[in-house]
Amino acid sequence: MKKILKHLAIALIVFYSFSSFAKEDEDLQEARVFIEEIGNKIINIANEKNISDAKIREKIIAEIDRVIDSEWIAKFVLGKNYKNLTEQQKLSFVGLYREFMINTYGPKFKNYNGKKFTVNEVTRQNSFFIAKAEFLPKESDTSIMTDFRVKKRDGKFYVLDFIAEGISLIETQRSEFNATIDKNGVEPFLKNLEAKVKNLKNNKK
Amino acid sequence: MRKIFILTFLISIFVNNANAKFSNKNNFQYNKNAIQNQIDQDLEFENYQSTTTVKIHDPYEKINRQIFAINDIFDRYFFEHVAKTYRNTLPNPARRMIRNFLSNISLPISALNSFAQGKVDNGLATFSTFLINSTIGCAGLFNVAQSKGINYKFEDLGQTLGFYNIDQGAFIMLPALGPSTSRDFAGWVVDKAINPFSYNIAEIGGEKQLVNNHFLIATGSLYSIDTRESLIDIIDDIRQDSFDTYATIRFAYLQKRAQEIKK
Repeated sequence: MKKILKHLAIALIVFYSFSSFAKEDEDLQEARVFIEEIGNKIINIANEKNISDAKIREKIIAEIDRVIDSEWIAKFVLGKNYKNLTEQQKLSFVGLYREFMINTYGPKFKNYNGKKFTVNEVTRQNSFFIAKAEFLPKESDTSIMTDFRVKKRDGKFYVLDFIAEGISLIETQRSEFNATIDKNGVEPFLKNLEAKVKNLKNNKK
Repeated sequence: MRKIFILTFLISIFVNNANAKFSNKNNFQYNKNAIQNQIDQDLEFENYQSTTTVKIHDPYEKINRQIFAINDIFDRYFFEHVAKTYRNTLPNPARRMIRNFLSNISLPISALNSFAQGKVDNGLATFSTFLINSTIGCAGLFNVAQSKGINYKFEDLGQTLGFYNIDQGAFIMLPALGPSTSRDFAGWVVDKAINPFSYNIAEIGGEKQLVNNHFLIATGSLYSIDTRESLIDIIDDIRQDSFDTYATIRFAYLQKRAQEIKK
């Protein structure tokens, strides 16, 4: 009886260890596939022939909008200042920020019509996944090293940050936005953001 | 005693498992709270771990912003045009050769800094690159070492000091040179002073100055133009998208340096 219990205990420990490792592996693999699909899809859109630049821009923006969690990022980039906003300001900011993000950074991926996109490594960092990837651009022999910060929510992955050559987009924005708000206040910042979004939407290049 | 231990262990596993199942299936309130907790946690970003620890210490911000404004005017009206002309006039392979040459003459100092940090492999790779490119690579114009699979990471004295936990000090905006910190600027001065292809105050090779002043002015000017050329798109983007160009450049610089030291 003693032996049976011992073996049973060992078997259970082994089973639980393996099942948690398997789950971890599965998540890492899913995160890798998610990022690979995004990178390759963007490159494919950027490489598309017989469609206008405006159409490429539109398609990339739609893709970026689909894969980022703009609400999470909006709250992150405002940091301490987010809590001080009124409910109306919060709503307004989250909506404007989404437009700002997709219209500012989406079109830049038009230049990522590179030859190759690879994900080299995916690691877990608390509840996030960090995918280390690289783009090999057309007219250069050096790769652009990019990390993606990804989170799984309700069974679906979302991109939260894009870290190019060691510089995090959202951390830079957080520093910049807070410096602007500390200097000029929330309302001028929101008006400025609104003006920028309007400008970006009018600029269809 | 053993039996009790094993039994307790097994019971605890089953109880935990049963609890988890019960919670998942039947306890809606539990789920609601869990989701709310998750949202709260996300909102506070407690589990967000920065890619690097960036400390913004900018006690001279007022004067830094003034210097930045002057640099910006100088750049918009002069230097940017020089860099764009350089890009448009010289074909990419020619610019790459110039970049290779300029990188190559800074490699002895980079190797020295690698060794100072105990990164022997990187130091050897850097020094091998210097030797190969200086000879087979026609004075560094061609990066033959890279094509042979030798890769190195550039290290300077600012990084070495950072590696040994010397504080970055104050953020400073230098006239014409741009963003730096007191630690990085001090490192830059020393690196320039001891580089045999610069001031060579260590008298490497037995000479007070291995290269003449014309070489120093030419390489210095080319280095500035080449660096500005490599930043054309980035600076254009920052100028277009940023709400506070100074704050963006400050943070990006500090983050980049922190990342370089961490690697």
